[in-house]
Amino acid sequence: MLNRKKAAFAALAVIACAATATAGLVWGGGRTTGAGPAVAADRAAAGRAAARLAPGQNDPLSADERRRAIEIAGDADARRRGGRTELLYVQRDDDKAVTGRRAEAFSYDYDSDRLTLRTIDLGSGRIVSTETATGVQPPPSDDEERAAAELLLADAGLGKGVREQFEQRAGRPLRSPDDLHLRGVIFKPDHVHGVSNARAVAACAEHRCLRLFVRLPKGKWLDTSRIVIDLSAREIYTMEW
Amino acid sequence: MRSFRAAVIAACLLIALPPAAVPALAVAEPPSCADPYLVERTFANGARWQLCWEMRETEGLTLTDAVYTPNGHAPVSVLTSAHLAQIHVPYDSGEPRFHDMAGGLGFSAVPLQDQDCPEGERREQDEVPVLCVLPDQPRGIAYLNPSLGEDSLRRSAQGKALVLFSAFELGWYTYLVEWRFADDGSINPRVGATGSLRGSDGVVVSPEHGWPIGVGASDFEESHQHNIFWRLDFDVQGPADDVVEQYDFAGSGTASLEMKRKALTKEAGVTNNRTRWWRVVDKTVKNSDGHAASWEITNSDSSQYRGPDTEPYSHSDVYVTQYNACERLTAENAEPPCDESVDRFVNGQTITDPVVWVSVDYHHVARDEDHDPMPTHWQGFFIQPRDITASNPH
Repeated sequence: MLNRKKAAFAALAVIACAATATAGLVWGGGRTTGAGPAVAADRAAAGRAAARLAPGQNDPLSADERRRAIEIAGDADARRRGGRTELLYVQRDDDKAVTGRRAEAFSYDYDSDRLTLRTIDLGSGRIVSTETATGVQPPPSDDEERAAAELLLADAGLGKGVREQFEQRAGRPLRSPDDLHLRGVIFKPDHVHGVSNARAVAACAEHRCLRLFVRLPKGKWLDTSRIVIDLSAREIYTMEW
Repeated sequence: MRSFRAAVIAACLLIALPPAAVPALAVAEPPSCADPYLVERTFANGARWQLCWEMRETEGLTLTDAVYTPNGHAPVSVLTSAHLAQIHVPYDSGEPRFHDMAGGLGFSAVPLQDQDCPEGERREQDEVPVLCVLPDQPRGIAYLNPSLGEDSLRRSAQGKALVLFSAFELGWYTYLVEWRFADDGSINPRVGATGSLRGSDGVVVSPEHGWPIGVGASDFEESHQHNIFWRLDFDVQGPADDVVEQYDFAGSGTASLEMKRKALTKEAGVTNNRTRWWRVVDKTVKNSDGHAASWEITNSDSSQYRGPDTEPYSHSDVYVTQYNACERLTAENAEPPCDESVDRFVNGQTITDPVVWVSVDYHHVARDEDHDPMPTHWQGFFIQPRDITASNPH
């Protein structure tokens, strides 16, 4: 069994790998603010048949639809008193029984650890259903990944390790979490088996916790498998196995 | 060169033969989407596929309203919705264990470059090219009947497929989510994994849990599973009257095999075996022989991973459930009021509108050759028409 210090070191072990060539551009979907222009409708030149003027029932949300959904859900969140509620993102509601365009909006209150899922009729602008749940965690948003990286960097031991590894690869100091390529994955205690300090992550049964994949410049991944970031308690746990 | 290729693709996509109506099959509605989310392809043999695509935040590449038109026949609807439903990655030592789609598959979509899609067309959502459409991929010999001695009866054809794929960077792995729609009406959903291995630098891996891919015999890469689930909402000419049947063949060490048919009328999780297959059949939609139209699912290539009791969704290979819009992922489903995993979606409902969940698992024991860039390894299954037409229409 590794002791905590060794486990923390192992948790930040650098994976040697070549860079995977991707453009800096990343599809943001509903995590963006919806500021981007709508996809151009006229693609006839590309030779596609059956172009239509109106969006189809199954088309993704347009930038305008996404903007409206974010505004309506954001207003509903703002009417709530107390708590720390954030709108995570919106996506198209694809219930096949529904005709007309609808969006789903995911909001999370980190104080009460409650997920709210609202369904918005984009035609009328009305919220047609509101469901809440605790212990149910949709994927993390961009903002949450950044908040998790800030907590990681603020940790005395782990943050120092990340900064050192970054500087070694980039040849310059880390300025902010924006320098890191991040991908968060929801973590729950029942995802682990044989962790000797399982009680340390027990809070994640209710809290919003995630594991963070962190890629440094030149395609180097940090193995952060053992690190759990609790966004509700704003704490970091290092699992030992 | 590029415009020439675009013109060729455009010409290929626009070749359309008007289907002759067959009274026994009602005509499917066209897909409910507009350009650039509509994909249509009519092959040289007259077969046609039409469908919509969407990059969804949680589920990633999602196909809707897939309609197949056999040569000389009316269109028939196949899938109202199809997408991945979880990528479960447990490592052999017991840790770590990831649910990769709990990161939001769509959020990880890789912008595709021309070199990733050299014989196809990149489609954009929100101005990012996230889908590659390959309209005319060779799939080998479609059929060959030599009719030796009678050259006039010789029949031979090269098969083609419409291939759609997107790539997702989930941590160190890059997943290729691919759908192959063939000109014989079959569908091959599959996932490739490439990118990088997790790496074991600084992490203790026991020899029984890995393979030494570093120099000597001290640096082990940990073996692991990729347990991939698909969600398939079949609607054979609409959702009404669809039933899932399971077929088995009794007899072992015997000269004869006896076919056993079981209708899965209640929600269930079932296990795969080598000769078992399933079909989604609409008893009211018949071909000109009077046989009920169906889509057959075979799933014989899975390593059939079975996790601990805390992972009950891994204890069956195929699940059949009643359609519910908020049941979307087999594990870490996060759409209240629906439950969180597919084993709990199975709660005794009678099925009138089936959704089929297929799990194909792959156990990866790394090799020296898997060093970066790791060669792609694939896993998937097959769907094929069974009695949509009364004979081979191509």
